[in-house]
Amino acid sequence: MHVEDFEAAAMPHLADLYRSASLLIRDSSEAEDLVQEVYLEAWKSFHRFEPGTNCRAWLFKILFHRLHHVRRRLIKASRVEAFASPGGEDNFMAEPPVPQDIRDEDVLLALAKVPMEFRETVLMADVEEFSYREIAETMRIPLGTVMSRLSRGRKLLRAELAEVARSFGIKQRGKGAGQGESA
Amino acid sequence: MNVLNFDSKQCERVRRQLDAYLSNELLVETTSEVLRHLESCEACSLELDARMRLRKALRKAADQRVPPEHLREAISRRLRREQPGLFGEFRVIPWAVALASLVLVVVAAQQGFRLQRGRQLVSSVLAIGVSDHIQCAIKGHNYPQVASPPDQLRKKLGPEYAGLLPIVQEKLPAFQVLEAHICQVPGSSRNYVHFITRGQGTILSVILTRREGESLPSGRFLVASAPAGVDLYKAQLEGMNVAGFESNEYFGFVVSDLGQDEMVRIATGLAPALRDALNKGAGTEKAATPGFQIDFVSIGYNSAWAARKWDGQSVA
Repeated sequence: MHVEDFEAAAMPHLADLYRSASLLIRDSSEAEDLVQEVYLEAWKSFHRFEPGTNCRAWLFKILFHRLHHVRRRLIKASRVEAFASPGGEDNFMAEPPVPQDIRDEDVLLALAKVPMEFRETVLMADVEEFSYREIAETMRIPLGTVMSRLSRGRKLLRAELAEVARSFGIKQRGKGAGQGESA
Repeated sequence: MNVLNFDSKQCERVRRQLDAYLSNELLVETTSEVLRHLESCEACSLELDARMRLRKALRKAADQRVPPEHLREAISRRLRREQPGLFGEFRVIPWAVALASLVLVVVAAQQGFRLQRGRQLVSSVLAIGVSDHIQCAIKGHNYPQVASPPDQLRKKLGPEYAGLLPIVQEKLPAFQVLEAHICQVPGSSRNYVHFITRGQGTILSVILTRREGESLPSGRFLVASAPAGVDLYKAQLEGMNVAGFESNEYFGFVVSDLGQDEMVRIATGLAPALRDALNKGAGTEKAATPGFQIDFVSIGYNSAWAARKWDGQSVA
């Protein structure tokens, strides 16, 4: 087993792994450390990787495994319950509007406010474009949880973005766009 | 703003589907239903636009996060400093590792004299399963990427053991049986029935081999008693976790690199049914002429080790 074989399979996914890590960890040097650790762990267990299977999903699985391990140590109280309670069922007809022009920094600011469990799922689906099944396997959660977290996460992101837009005084251009839902 | 005249029930149904629609996870029929509605409902169409706009903006913003120049090099440097997994090295220097494993066995045997006989016995019996798993499944890689058809597996198992295949399949719902065969350990009269499965991101073996008079000690060496009264034993050996049990004539092992608790859980589900099937007559004839044999010579099987453990020589 050669390190070059490993690099050929794994290094093409570096940008994706770093992108997600940096959006899940505030400190960029910690995100770099995490990605390095993912690669080292993957290399050490490369004998378990089956050529031809999804290397990218495998690397993300390691990423989340490490991320959750670190987080379990750091955070004792979970905020998930407060957000995931069924009592918080949304009024789907009264979603906040989405601005026509969205600045990158506003989205990232809004994303950072979305609780971690939901942020992870939204990133995996909407940025990394994994399928529901792949997300379930990678994050080791049931398929139904993927679906509910994604739905909730997208709504939370939208609400946070509206809040950011409001607080920064961004005027919406284009009358009516994105407002059809607030009937 | 337009006055929107929509069928709220229809809109509600479609909007519940929009998340899956955006992720391309809807069935074809549902997708066309959603599309039909969107054509006639401006409110829902605007809502979809809003959601797509948000997703596009998120992707664009996320793409601003690019890895710093030095990261790739830093990873490459660290990879070259670290050794890969133990079994990766097997492929590169098989003789060195075979020698190392022999040394390990000798050291283990020497240390064994100081350990209690019962614990020794448990480890040495469970080591058979671990050794078989490593040699045939991990090192030998004697399984296809795509599962062989069940009738082919039944043929390989022969009439004595074919009946065990559906039990393994049923009791390991999270695993797919890729391969099943009977292995012959060279230099020894021992055979074993081997099911190689894939699931939970790894390879897991179920191994059955005749006890030949050996048995696992009872009492405090047990780790769990399955509801159907099957005693389980566990050990961590060679980086693998193994859970073992016995029937009247066989030892059974479940081996993989999953966690110990998980292995005990898996074995708890599987062991009672396998034991009952074996006690009821599966494999009652000695598998002297197995339907299919793996040739270990080509993969450098450490027969001295396996035979030694099997003969119980490491147990004082």
